[in-house]
Formats: sequence, structure tokens, C-alpha cells
Amino acid sequence: MSAVLAGDQAALAALVTRHHAFLFGYLYRLVGGDHPLAEDLVQETFLRILRQRTRPSDSPFKPWFYKIATNLARDHFKSAAVRQRACKGNEEEALLQMSDRTSGPEERALIAERGSEVRMALAQLSEDYRVVVVLRFYQEFSLQEIAETLQIPLGTVKSRLSVGVHRLRAVLAPIQEGMD
Amino acid sequence: MLHPQSPWPSERPEQLAEALHEQGATLDELAELLPAVQRLSQWQAPQPSLIDTQRLLARLAPELPALSPVRQAIRAQQQRHGASLYWLLTTARAQISLFGPAFWLVSALVTLLGAVAVLSGTLPNEELLLRASGPFLAYLGTIIAFRGAAVRALECELACLPSPVQLALARLVIVLGYDVGLGLALSLALWAGGASQVLALTLSWLMPLLLVAGLALLLSLRLSIQAAASVAYGSWLAVLAIDTTSTLQALPLTQLSDMLLGGIGLALLAIVLLRIQPGMHRLLPRA
Repeated sequence: MSAVLAGDQAALAALVTRHHAFLFGYLYRLVGGDHPLAEDLVQETFLRILRQRTRPSDSPFKPWFYKIATNLARDHFKSAAVRQRACKGNEEEALLQMSDRTSGPEERALIAERGSEVRMALAQLSEDYRVVVVLRFYQEFSLQEIAETLQIPLGTVKSRLSVGVHRLRAVLAPIQEGMD
Repeated sequence: MLHPQSPWPSERPEQLAEALHEQGATLDELAELLPAVQRLSQWQAPQPSLIDTQRLLARLAPELPALSPVRQAIRAQQQRHGASLYWLLTTARAQISLFGPAFWLVSALVTLLGAVAVLSGTLPNEELLLRASGPFLAYLGTIIAFRGAAVRALECELACLPSPVQLALARLVIVLGYDVGLGLALSLALWAGGASQVLALTLSWLMPLLLVAGLALLLSLRLSIQAAASVAYGSWLAVLAIDTTSTLQALPLTQLSDMLLGGIGLALLAIVLLRIQPGMHRLLPRA
């Protein structure tokens, strides 16, 4: 990272190649599957770290990096326009993207439908719970890393995860029972 | 554009169960929650393609901090040579001009006078003279090598590519390297002059020198360099005075204690090198 902040192009390429997909996956899920928005936030996150010029030497890279990304996503959530758009979403686009790799049209539709349910369930969580669930189960962060990223106590991380997972179950369980 | 989808990171149920357990879920809760958490894998995020990554890089590249041509050249040369020892010696060589001829001549003269005084055999206590004169070189070297703050040059030094630690290390290499060289020359002169106990005499000259150098630099983290060097050398002279003039043995001065003093001096120097960077702001002139 210090090489990037010193203007090293090769170091920047290595940094972006290494983190692009993970960061995109994180922000994509955080913003409810809005592909262009996730791309914008990824770009803004990288720009933000380049413009900061320095990095706190006492904190590990990953929590610092994801803290910036999370804060940018939060800023986005706060805007009034987003609140209006949040209900509508671009579900169709997300469904299409999710079904790209599958073979048959029926299978694609089924997977897209299931993915959509999870997406909707996550979207129903409030932002605080969604962030910890995504960091924990999609990004595989340790509890300590989540605490450092969000700058909250470890106990708060655990309680938010507990509440978040219980709420997910409450939303997903009836759907599962209906399908069974 | 087709996007390959990212794999679900925690595919195995036992991994998920462990994660739930770690966050405080009981066994009953595990059975309840596990299916819901497993279902998270049904929502996959598309992975950015190589073209996406290249596009992002193209957008970020202009935002990279631009280095001045001078700094780029220095960095390139630094990377070419790589080895830190080479870098240290190069920095030390560049710092030699800082000392001026007076330092080299006075240091050599003090050593020469010590050797002559010991070899003449007129002194009742040869070791005392060496114990007092050796640290004087440390006092002199410290004041000259680290006078940057006093002459308002510290900000310029901090703006240079070598860090304060590298600069301090390079200057210590010069001062201590020269003093050790003089110590060896002193040993040779004493040995050639037929003095007895050459090793003991050399140690009594060199080890207090290390102690005073370490103490002076340690104090310089809090005091001005002149004050720090004066306090360190003055304290050492006071200890010697008490040791020789009173019946109270302030410090039992033997070969072993000399080695111990030298070891303490080296430890103090190591502490200073570790602390010099965070403490550097104290030396900057206040607005």
C-alpha cells in the first residue's frame, strides 16, 4: 500500500487486481444487487484511498479499506433519492446477472428466484445488520476484523450478527416452507 | 457481457456452524439458523471481468500521486542497488561532509594525547585519563552529528529521502566507526609502546565512550542536543570524580564493568533508534 501511495503503477495494478472482485462482491450485496452502483462505489473507494495519501500505520489494511467502502455505501444510503429508489430496485437486471451461468431456462429461473429471495431478505435487514452479515458470511471476516472495520466493540458485532441472522431466518423460513 | 459468478466462500456446513457458534449461537439455535445461513449462497455476486478491472485501473492511474523527477531518480537508484547496507554506507558517505576537519583532528589529537600520556608512564592512574578522554569524543561527535535542530536545518533534513532513523544510523556509523578506529589505533600504539594490559586500557577508553554516546542521544529525545551531551558527559565525569576522590566506590571500575557499561551504551543507542522517529516532532521549531 505504501508503494501505491508513493505513486507506483505496478503496485496499484496488484492492489486493484487483488481486491477488485472481493470489494465489488461486498458492495454489490450491500446495495441490494445494483450492479452499476456497486461499480461506482468500488471506483470511489479506490479513489478515496489514493486521495487520502496516507494510511494509518497502526491499523491493518483490510479493515481500513472496507471501512472506507462501508462509509461510502452508508453515505449513499443516506441520500433521499436512494430512499425513494430502494423499494423499486432493478430486480430484473439482478436476476439476469445471477442466472448467466446456468444452463436450462427453467433452472435459471429457479436459481434466480431463490437468489432474489435471499437478496430481498437481506434488503429487509436494516443497514447495520446487513453490513455485519455480509462481512461475516460473504467476505469471511473474523469478528475482530468486523469490529475494526466498523469501529464497534466485539460484543456489538456479535449481537448485531445474532439479530441479523435471526431476522434472516424469520424472513426466509416461511418461503422455504412454502417451497417444500 | 457474461460475468462468472463468485464462489460462495463458506460452502461447508461445519464452517458455517462454527461461525454461528463463534458469534454466540447455542446448539438449539444452530439447528434453527444453519439452513437460513446456508441459503445465503443462493445469491451470488457477479465477478468483475478482466476488462472491468482494466477500465478501473485506467480510471485510477491518473490519480496516483506524482513524484518529482528528482525523487523518482533517487527511488530508482535506491531500488537498483537494493541492499540496505549499501544504502546505509552511501548515506553515511554523504553525511561525512557534515563533520568538518575540526572533528577529525580534535578526536585524533585527544586519542594521541591519551596514548602519549599512558606511554610516558608519568600518570599515577592511566585508566582514569582514558576513561575521561574517551567519552569526550562521544560528546564531541554527538554535538556535531546531531546539531541539525540547533542550526535550524532539521526541517531540511526531514524533507530528504533518508528517514530520521537512517540519518541517525548513518551518522552513528561515522562517529562510532571513527572512534572505534581511533581505539584500535590507540591499542596498537599502546601495544607497540610496550604498555601492559592493552586490552584493559582500550576497554576503559572505548566502553565509556559508548555509554556516553548512548546516554547523550537518549537524553536528546527530551533535551536539546548540547544539553543532552553535556549532561551525559558531565554525569560521567562526576561519577569518575566521586570514584577517585572519595572512599565511596560509586562504580567498581573493572574490565567486566567496562564491558557492562559498553553493553548499556549499545542498548541505549538501540532504544534511541527505535524512538527517534516518533519523537522527532519535539525537535522541530515551534511556531
